Order: sequence, then C-alpha cells, then structure tokens
Amino acid sequence: MNKPTSAVLGGAAGVAVLSVALLLIEVETRSRIGLFDVVARFVGVPGNQALGFLLFVAAGTFAWPLLFVALEAYLPLGPDPAIRGVGFAIPLWVAFVVLGRGDLSGAILVVYGVLTLFAHVAYGFTLGAVYGRLSGETDARRPMPAYPEEDRDVETGAGSEDR
Amino acid sequence: MSSPLPASVGESLAAAALAGTLLLGAGWLSYRIRSNASPGSRDPPGTRADGGTRTSRVSRLRAGLPYDPVRWLTTVNHRDIGTLYLLFAVVAALWGGTDALMIRTELLTPAADVWDERTYNALFTTHGLTMLFFFVTPAFTGVANYFLPLFVGADEMAFPRVNALAFWLLPPSLLLVRAGLVTEVFGKALAAVGPRVDVLYLLEPPTTGWTLYTPLSATLANPQIDLLLLGLHLSGIATVLGAVNILVTVLVDRAPDVTWANLDILTWTLLTTAGIILFAFPLLGSALVMLLLDRNFGTTFFAVEGGGPILWQHLFWFFGHPEVYILVLPAFGLVSLILPKFAGRKLFGFKFVVYSTLAIGVLSFGVWAHHMFATGIDPRLQASFMAVSLAIAVPSAVKTFNWMTTLWRGRIRLAAPMILSIGGVGLFIVGGVTGIFLASIPVDRVLHDTHYVVGHFHFIVMGVIAMMAFAASYYWFPLLTRRMYDRRMARVQAYTLIVGVFVTFFPLLLLGMDGHPRRWASYTQGMDTNPGWMLLHWIATGGAAIIGASVTLWLFNLVQSMRVGAPVTTGDPWNLKETGQFTREWAWFEERLEERRRRTTSGVEDD
Ligand code: HEM
Ligand SMILES: [Cu+2]
Repeated sequence: MNKPTSAVLGGAAGVAVLSVALLLIEVETRSRIGLFDVVARFVGVPGNQALGFLLFVAAGTFAWPLLFVALEAYLPLGPDPAIRGVGFAIPLWVAFVVLGRGDLSGAILVVYGVLTLFAHVAYGFTLGAVYGRLSGETDARRPMPAYPEEDRDVETGAGSEDR
Repeated sequence: MSSPLPASVGESLAAAALAGTLLLGAGWLSYRIRSNASPGSRDPPGTRADGGTRTSRVSRLRAGLPYDPVRWLTTVNHRDIGTLYLLFAVVAALWGGTDALMIRTELLTPAADVWDERTYNALFTTHGLTMLFFFVTPAFTGVANYFLPLFVGADEMAFPRVNALAFWLLPPSLLLVRAGLVTEVFGKALAAVGPRVDVLYLLEPPTTGWTLYTPLSATLANPQIDLLLLGLHLSGIATVLGAVNILVTVLVDRAPDVTWANLDILTWTLLTTAGIILFAFPLLGSALVMLLLDRNFGTTFFAVEGGGPILWQHLFWFFGHPEVYILVLPAFGLVSLILPKFAGRKLFGFKFVVYSTLAIGVLSFGVWAHHMFATGIDPRLQASFMAVSLAIAVPSAVKTFNWMTTLWRGRIRLAAPMILSIGGVGLFIVGGVTGIFLASIPVDRVLHDTHYVVGHFHFIVMGVIAMMAFAASYYWFPLLTRRMYDRRMARVQAYTLIVGVFVTFFPLLLLGMDGHPRRWASYTQGMDTNPGWMLLHWIATGGAAIIGASVTLWLFNLVQSMRVGAPVTTGDPWNLKETGQFTREWAWFEERLEERRRRTTSGVEDD
C-alpha cells in the first residue's frame, strides 16, 4: 500500500484509540476535566463541542498523518515508524495541553496532563505502527530479521491451526 | 412523569432492563459467531474443497487482518484461552491502576478538592474490586491455562469448552461491575452528536468499598450496586469453573510419567489455590444473593432487626480471608519456580514448601474474624482467631526461609525475573510482619481501619503478587512470543518497581500509626494535630508516579518487543539445562521450534 494511504489508515486507527481514551478519561474523572470543551478549545471553536470533535477527528485522520509521512525521514527516534509516531505525537500533546487547558489548575492540571499524554502517545504509536505495517516500512526497518516463514503464515493463514 | 411504582422499584427495573439488554447483546453476538464458525470455515481461509477460491468479502477481510477475530472468539485451545486471560488481566490492571493514581491525586491536598468525596469513595471501591477480581485472579488463571497442561503433560485442560465459557463470563462481569461507566460513555458519545438520554446516566459508580459492608450496601439506592452484585456473582461462577478445570486436569489428566512425587511446585500451588476457590467462592456467591434479596425483596438477612450487619462480615470474611490466599499462593508458586532458576540451585526444602502450601490452604479458612476485632464480637472468640492468625504466619515464614536458603551460595544471575523475585520476597516480609502485628488484638484495636492496614496489604498485593506477575511475564515472554524483550529496559523497570512500591506504601504505615483513618477523601480535620500528613501523602503519591512510570516502561517494552524484538532461536533462553532445571514447558517450546525449523527448511535445497 502506498505511503499516504497507509498513513491515513494509521491515522484513522490512531484517532479511534485517542477518542476512546479521551472518552474514558472524561467519564472516569466524572467530567471534572471537561475534555470535550478542551477539544473544542484546542481546535479553535470554543464552546462548539460537536464541530470541535469533528475537526479534531479530521485533523487526526488526514492532516497529522500526511504531515507525518512528509516529515518521516526527519523525525527523531527512528527507524521504527511506531516510535517515530510517538515522537511526532509529543508536540501535538504539548499543543493540546497548552491550548486546551482553559482554567484548569493545581493537581487536576497534572492529572489532565499525564492522562492526555498517555492518550497522545497511544495515538502516535498506533499511527506509526499501522502505517509501518501497511506500507512495509516496519519490515524494511526491522532491526532483526523476522522468522523467514512468518510472512507466509500471514498470507495462507497456516499459522492459525498450530497456535 | 408519574409512575405507579415507587422510585426505587422503577430504578431497579431500569437496571434490570439494562442488564438484560447487555446479556441479550452478548447472546446475539455469540450466536452470530457460532453461525459464522460453521465447520466449513475451519479450512484455511480462501480455499475450497475443489481447490477453487472463496471470494466472500467477509472472509477476504478476515484473511487480511493480522489476527483472526472469529478464531479468538471461538477458541477452546488452552493456550489461546490462557492468552485471552492474560490480555484481559492487563486491561483490568491498567484500568484499576488509573483508579489508583486518581486516589493518590486526591490525597495531594488535605481538602477534597480534586475529586469530590463521592468520586473518591467510588474510586477506592472500583479500584479494589477491579484489581482483586479482574486483574490478579484472571492473570494467574491465565498462567494456569497456558502452562499447567504443559507442566503435567496433558494435551488440553480437562474441559476445554467449560474453560472457554469461564473466560467469556469475565468481560460481562467486569462490565456489570463497572456498568455505570460504560453506559455513561455511551451517553456522552450520544450527547456529543445528538440527544441526551437520561437513563444512561442513572448508574453511579458504587461507593461501598470492596468489602460491601451492610447496612450501607443494603440501603444505598444507587441501582449500580445491584449490577455490581450480579457482576461479582458472575465472576465468581467463572472463577469456580476455572478452578474445577484446574483440579480435574491435575487429578486425572497427568501424563504417566508425572506422579505426585515429581509434580512441580507451581502445579502444587495452583492445585491448592483451586481447592480454596472451590470452598470459598460459592460462599461469596450465596452472600451476594442474600444481599441482593435484602436490597430488592425485603428480606432481612443483614438488617439490624434480622441477621444483623455482623452476619455479613462473617460471611464476607469467611470468603475474604481465603481470597487473599487465593491471590497470593500462585505468586508464591511463581517465586518457588522462578527464583531457583536464576540462583542455579534447586528449591531448598521442596517438600516443606509443598506442605506449607497445603497447610495455608487449610488454615486460611480458620482466621477470618481477625478482620472483625473492632466489632465487639466475644473477646474469647477473638482470642482464638488471634491464635490461628499467628499460626498461619508460620507456613509463610517457612517458605520465606526456603527461598532465602535457596539463594545461599547460589550462582545468582540478576535478570529481570530474578530481580523481581528477590524484591518480591523482601517486600513480602514487610507485608507479612505488619500482618502479624495486625493479628494481635491490642495492636489491631489501634490500627484497624487506618492507612496502616492499606500499607500492610499493599506490601503483599503490589509487593509480591503484582511483582511476580511481572516476573512471570518476563520469564515466559520468549516462550509466548518467540521474541526476546529488551533486557536492560526490563532491569531498569524491575528496580524502579521495587523502589516505587516501597516509597508508595511505607508512608502509609507511618500515616496509620499516626492514626490516619483509611477511606477518607479529606484529611483537613487531622492536619491541626498532624501537620506532617500532607508530606507523607506527597511522598506516597510520588511513589505511585514511580510505579506508573515503571508499568508504562513494562508495557512499552513488551508491546515493542512483540513487534520487533530479537527472535528467539533456542528452546533454552535462560540456560536452564546447565543447572539441570530445564522444565517441561521449555522442552515443549524447544520441540516446537525444532518443528518450525523442519517445516520451513524442508523442500529448500540449500540451508
Ligand atoms: C502473614 C500472614 C497475614 C496476616 C497475619 C494478616 C493479617 C491481617 C489482619 C489482622 C488484617 C485486618 C486488619 C484490620 O482491618 O484491622 C489484614 C487485612 C488485610 N490483609 Fe492481611 N494478613 C496476612 C497476609 C495477607 C495476605 C497474603 C494478603 C493478600 C494477598 C493480605 C491482604 C489483606 C487485605 C486485602 C486486608 C484488608 C482488608 C480490608 O479491606 O479491610 N493479608 N491482614
Ligand atoms: Cu485476613
């Protein structure tokens, strides 16, 4: 699969992970953080949660992944695309925390920072891992050769009966 | 809306409807899966009997996925089910861990101003339930499923389908226990795009504590409590089914060359644990049903004018104390298994470790009232329970001395599993000794219901139980994934975990000795006389952050190594043959590696 398509699919998977994580955080903290408002503030439409979320998903699926492909060779922490994805997601998280934090303060700001960091790392990792798998980048850059027979397993499904 | 029913009945009905919907959904799903998994689809995807290819879009999609979902949903293979248990346990652990970090955050400030009191009460309740019932037990059941048949030379667990059923009861139980959260997620997701559906916000997280003491648990109106009781009941059934499977597998499915005389240590402990489960969990199930009846049908089992709240405590702890050994014995078994491997010596006093395990299995049913010294039960009764509680420390001490003697003059290799084992023994000593103090009535009168108790049992549940779960994950990682983890990162992780546990839970012992009650969201009241409390809470929260970082490192290491770790080419990655400790599961692994090698090289001329 070509690189941009792989990246967009990776982005879709990543955004799914990120949204579920944010939703869980929101509910687990009994809405003390107000993450939907955070998202709306982050994408620049404060107060409009539905539009905010839509923009957020669009950016996570198309804009960031395509930027990721464009910058891939320059990103630190290579060669594994998943790790590069994490490195790529950290600045996004910084922006998310800075632009979205509103008037949160004190201990709750710390919780907010840590939990959203995890969510963003998961986004970057998923983006990179799925992209790497679909585009073949992971295999090309694997530090160690995989088992020679492994790829054949995937194609024929022969791996399933002996597990 | 004017309803002919009283509000509580209406809410219970709504809760029951919700539970019904969840169950129907699960039933529909399993029906779909079964009809999908008709015999024909067991052929390799894409082929037909006549050699042609099938072109159904679904099967093409399935073949393209990295993991076949239908296979994982329908499997009855003991290793697959073991893997599922382990994955489930990881998810539960991370969820319960988030609760824990939120508890610690609340305690950074004396006032209840990070989360409110009710959220705090919900957090320690769900934290306890999730960790005990959905992390530890499934993790060790997973280990049992994967490895026990290999250890005893059985092809499968005794009842493979029951085994699958036992696993698949767990996700719905967890969902029932934490249903409010799930329905609220739906509610929020819906509200983000459309209407606000009020019934989805009906369930509030339970605030009873994991011990579910009456009268509180019998009188709280929150319908989530009923779902919680049902969920725990379901998980109890799952646990008993798993235990029966383990018992029968060991009793009747052993290979001819596996006798009682040469049965390995882990199997002995898993067998004892399964025995305790068989006697303890049905009791919890009955008590839960009685509480459900009290809540919904006006029975008076635990009402003051009926059986009284003390009856609940007796029933609960008759289950509850054996439960702590259900949790800890498999961890002891893992220490006894793993520690000698990296000490280059056989386990010292094998027989005595087995005897002490069996002794604990029996004694664990005779100490429950040491949780009730502060209730005013007859002092003579208390004294007997004190005596038995002190006695049960003896077999644990026997094990500890055996482990230390195993290390004596051993050739110690500090690989991650070994660091965690040694750390686990050390932390267990702190947990055990504080337990002996608590078992003495006069001391317990002072320390009961303080943070000291929390410190005591966390030195055990984190200090040795979670520690050994991590150790096992490293020890068998090569066997489970055919790859090696990053060993340096693992060593760093092991050391930080030990430090983190100590820094988190030692301050709790000090707080408790200062009289800081447990289960308090706010401690402003105590700050006038004990200004040091905040600092101790800060240290504990700092320790929790270290644990969090350490767990993150572990997760990252394993996920990454599963993707791109160095392939394992030998069946003996730990050099066990050298010291004559090459056990059956590794022999099995070696055989499979051999077979793979034959398969891939056959037909290839060179190589
Ligand atoms: C040397 C053996 C042990 C002794 C003598 C002992 C003693 C005690 C006593 C007397 C209490 C009640 C304290 C109070 O509430 O005032 C207690 C609480 C507790 N212990 Fe232990 N213990 C031992 C081992 C363990 C183990 C192995 C575990 C866990 C695997 C454990 C987990 C707990 C838990 C969870 C509680 C708190 C229960 C609650 O929520 O109130 N203990 N222990
Ligand atoms: Cu006890």
